Amino acid sequence: MEALQRVVRTWIASEQEEEVDAAVSEITNGSATLLDLVKALGEYLTSEEDELRTKGVEFLSLVIGKSPPEKLSRQSVRVLVSFYCGKLDDTETIIPALKGLVSLTAMPAFASTDAIEVMNALVKHVRMKALVQSQRLMVYKIVDTLLAKHRDALKSMGKEFLSGYIALAEGEKDPRNLLLAFSIARVLLLDFDISAHIEDLFNVTFCYFPITFRPPPDDPYGITTDDLKNALGACLNSTPQFGPLAIPLFLEKLAAGTPATKRDTLKALDSCLPVYGPSVARTHARKLWNSLKLEIFQPTDSVTEQAALHTTQVLIRTIYAGSESEDQSSEDIQGLAKDACEECIQILREPEKSQAKPAIKIMCAFMATTPSVARFTLSQVTPHLVRLYLNPDELPNRAPTLGLLADVVAAARDSMPTDPEILPAEEDTPLAPYKDEVLGVLTVGLTPGSSVQPALDGLKALVTTRGLLTDEELGFVVHKINELLQDGQEENEDISDSALDLLTTISASAPRHVSETTLPLLFSALPDRAPPRDAQSERLKYWRTLASLTRLCKQPDLFETLVVRLLTKLDLICVPPPTTADAAGMDTEPSAAYAHSILRTIVDVLSAKVELGHADVIKYIDRLVPRLYHLFIYSALMSNGTYLVATDPRLVSVASQIITLVVQTLSAQRQETFVKALFAAYHRDDVKQLAEGHQKIPTDKSFGPFASNAPPVQKNLLALYAAAITALHKEVALPDPGEGPLLNQLLLWSVVDADNILQRDAAAHAIASILNKRTEGLSTFLEERLDLFWKDEVVTSERPPEARRQAISTWTWMTKALLVRGDPRGADLVDRLFELFGDDKVGWDAARAVGGAVATDKILTKKNHAVIKFLYAQKYCNSVLPRIIEGAKSSEDPQRQNAYLVALTSLIKSVPKTVYAHQMPTLMPLLLRGLDLPDFEIRASVIDTLLATAESSSSSNAKENGIIAEHASSLVSTMLRNSMIKEMPSMRVRVAALRFLSVLPSAVRYDVLHPQKATVIRELWKVLDDPKKAVRKEAVEARTNWYKFSG
Amino acid sequence: MSGEAFNPNPIVFATTKSSRSLPPGVRLNSLWLDDGDHREEESDDSNEAEAIDQDEIFELIRSISDPEHRNMSLEQLAVVSAPQITFDQRNPDRLTVEFTPTVPHCGMSTFIGLSIRVRLLRSLPHRYKVDIRVKPGSHQSEHALNKQLNDKERVAAALENPALLEVLEQCLSTVGQIADAAAL
Repeated sequence: MEALQRVVRTWIASEQEEEVDAAVSEITNGSATLLDLVKALGEYLTSEEDELRTKGVEFLSLVIGKSPPEKLSRQSVRVLVSFYCGKLDDTETIIPALKGLVSLTAMPAFASTDAIEVMNALVKHVRMKALVQSQRLMVYKIVDTLLAKHRDALKSMGKEFLSGYIALAEGEKDPRNLLLAFSIARVLLLDFDISAHIEDLFNVTFCYFPITFRPPPDDPYGITTDDLKNALGACLNSTPQFGPLAIPLFLEKLAAGTPATKRDTLKALDSCLPVYGPSVARTHARKLWNSLKLEIFQPTDSVTEQAALHTTQVLIRTIYAGSESEDQSSEDIQGLAKDACEECIQILREPEKSQAKPAIKIMCAFMATTPSVARFTLSQVTPHLVRLYLNPDELPNRAPTLGLLADVVAAARDSMPTDPEILPAEEDTPLAPYKDEVLGVLTVGLTPGSSVQPALDGLKALVTTRGLLTDEELGFVVHKINELLQDGQEENEDISDSALDLLTTISASAPRHVSETTLPLLFSALPDRAPPRDAQSERLKYWRTLASLTRLCKQPDLFETLVVRLLTKLDLICVPPPTTADAAGMDTEPSAAYAHSILRTIVDVLSAKVELGHADVIKYIDRLVPRLYHLFIYSALMSNGTYLVATDPRLVSVASQIITLVVQTLSAQRQETFVKALFAAYHRDDVKQLAEGHQKIPTDKSFGPFASNAPPVQKNLLALYAAAITALHKEVALPDPGEGPLLNQLLLWSVVDADNILQRDAAAHAIASILNKRTEGLSTFLEERLDLFWKDEVVTSERPPEARRQAISTWTWMTKALLVRGDPRGADLVDRLFELFGDDKVGWDAARAVGGAVATDKILTKKNHAVIKFLYAQKYCNSVLPRIIEGAKSSEDPQRQNAYLVALTSLIKSVPKTVYAHQMPTLMPLLLRGLDLPDFEIRASVIDTLLATAESSSSSNAKENGIIAEHASSLVSTMLRNSMIKEMPSMRVRVAALRFLSVLPSAVRYDVLHPQKATVIRELWKVLDDPKKAVRKEAVEARTNWYKFSG
Repeated sequence: MSGEAFNPNPIVFATTKSSRSLPPGVRLNSLWLDDGDHREEESDDSNEAEAIDQDEIFELIRSISDPEHRNMSLEQLAVVSAPQITFDQRNPDRLTVEFTPTVPHCGMSTFIGLSIRVRLLRSLPHRYKVDIRVKPGSHQSEHALNKQLNDKERVAAALENPALLEVLEQCLSTVGQIADAAAL
């Protein structure tokens, strides 16, 4: 007791936290009770002096707030409650008293009778307008706690409580308090008998609608507009009794509001209408419909339009929800849906007019409401449109009519249940009764003319309606499309695109029709021999046919046919029958190009199939791959100096892609067998297992592409070898000669024997792939052989620069193979590249290689089973970027400095933006220097990097925003220079610079950029006269953006 | 902008794609399909002149929005079309852009003409001289309109009017790539 009194005295004097804690610990360890504390405080609690009284109550409240609840007996709680309630009356003590009550109400010993007492005291004494936000918040907290713990006690207070609380809450403005007030209001609305207070509650909730609160920047309380909207929304839709009052208010807001208010109102209606119920909805149906109609027919923007359509659906659902079960079969309905449908049909009498579109949108929206409304709508609109189409007077409007019909069909389809397991019964397919006439009208629409596009759209919707069309009907549709394609419509890109799309859709479920009728048609359009060089239109024709096949033949059955037919075609072109090949001077390049296009088609379809994960790709290791090897090996052996079509390196290159695509899908075992056959052919001249085809491989000639005296056409075929190697699983054992010797052989071959880029790339890819997957057994190679290679082929100035460049390229691939798998030895290889920066011949090549070593490529990929470590590019970048920045800043020698800049640009081009984004402030000046380097490729890639930065800062408020802004004026003048043809001959750079200028206004604040506006607009005028169309287009775009740019 | 709409329910026409495209990889001047390793059109540094043609002009004006129906473009309402753009045979720098109001009493015609004028002023090089005309017989005060639209001073005076300029900028806000991308 003594101690407590001392503590109290000290507190009154000093108001230190320690005193509170001291008192709390006294109470906690039982040496004093709360009542002792009240006694100790005695004189202060009743002091005449205002300040002392405040302090006294304050101290008591603080101690209670920190004391363990079990220390408060029922007795002491009751005493304290009445004490505090008494103190609410006193302006000097109300604030600490509220504080005390906040803690007390949460105590377990706080009883229901206390709750009533507290509530009454609050209503009686508290004047909310006299309190500041945090104090009002305490009042809400007390009420909230009472509601949570003693709801029944409050209910027993009846009217007194409700009107009392409403009086307290009225006029609240602070968002922090409102959040709590709304949740209290929701409880009242849901759980209390509010019939006598509906209007008051309506006033204290709806007066906040719509929420217009915008949080201040750097809002410390973290209350968002959406928090408030959600909390208020939960009040608005909590009782049906609000309905009659709320709807007129909503209508008013909808009519007069800004777009944002309109959207809020529509959203509120969406959640409220179902609660307010059908009778309220019916009463106001007309008025609501009139308002919604306006938003749909004269939309302010597409979002509001969509929202209005949705609300219309909610309205219809609410009105008709109850009446659903009565009569399933009846097509007739009464009320709003009927009236609205009739209104829309009236508008749809002029299908070509702009109002027809919103009218059809409404009818389509109706289809996703209740079954009876959907049935009725469909029974109104479908026959109407069909009649309109068939009416001879409406002939000019057939295209728009079909367009509307297509929308209806799609909406009918989307209204069906989407469970893929259950095939819908006929009565669940709303369109079933109208199938015949709709299908009839749509297929008639396929006759050439403007109605083809909407007819195709409609058919697509029809075909994708599950369980609607029979197999026979699908066949009919395919037949009609075939006719269309034959009618010369392939010229029209839009049409043939959608026609193919439709065929693809059909072939997914019914491939037979397409493979039996469409494919033969397309194959017969492919000539057996290439059109001559000057026959451009015929060439375009076969390209179009191949493009169509590419689109169409992903489906397994169709792909099988495609491969068979195209391989036959390929044989005919590459190895023509002797009678036709007699003309020695015949121009064979068109044939090679044709063969190339055919192979390209297979590549495109295959890669799409691999992307889609089709399982049938595997079988083409037997059906396609041996035929390709055969064709190419045969041609290479037969061409003794003469040009055979299939010896063209471009064909080899595209064929190698096919091989990679197929081999990568095989299992490790299957690869193992395959790789044995491959090695037998390439290393031991035994092609029997690998190649298989019609032509007889001459026995008197040997196939040995690795031999030093091999003819170039054989050496080219190393690409087909590497293509298979790169796709192997790492478990697959390589046959004799084994990994180490093989790598040595390949490396040597790439230096000594390879004589074009195709061959060198092939060797490098194979080396990189083997190295990446099998480092374990290759330490000798890595430690000794590479050192030698570096010294003899790269560093030495005895070799010509071109050879050294090639060696650097091979080096880059090996570096990449190690980096990608996170092998530390990769760093050693990179170190060597840095050493070369001072070299005046190959310094820049080494610099490019530093970045190129992490560039993504098509060889070391997951699909090719490469060993790839997570975030390897980030790791690499973190280790070399500081070194590059350092070098670019400090190097004395300008040659070296530039090399560092080159390395920087190439690195940045190769890695994802997030890796270096945080470094932008340091990088920016260097990148700007990079823009002065005389290399166009570098400039273009620097601009691309800057463009990416600007674009990301225009979409977010990221902090690099400041970096672009900081350098805005120099960026503008540099980009303007790079966009003028007089100063910049490279079109790629000009286009990039203009794109940057075009993005700039959205990335930088107006006040920063404002001084540049006049200059940019004036200077860009000159660029409008650029000779190239693509440049002019960008210039117009950039200039338009700068015109629009204003504060 | 107040009062009754001149044509509350105009006819809507189908639009075409921006440019006729070829199958992927096709280059008209080559026997070979492009392997897709490099972007051909951008690495072409020949700088051979490609003259501004009808389609390029049409590209510039097709997506201007109609002042009365903001969510529709001039092309959709068939107010402008590519064949209505003609170049002077003798002087390639002179061209005529003709447009067709949706109704003969359309009071927005001057404004539509002005928006075409401004768009071309901003997007064509100095040397071009553009005549903007209403299609003969499509508007009741055709002559006055043509005179107004081709009078430099009156165009300049109209652009001094801030209220007019604001509406104009709104109609022009739909042109360009961002709008194109949104339409896709």
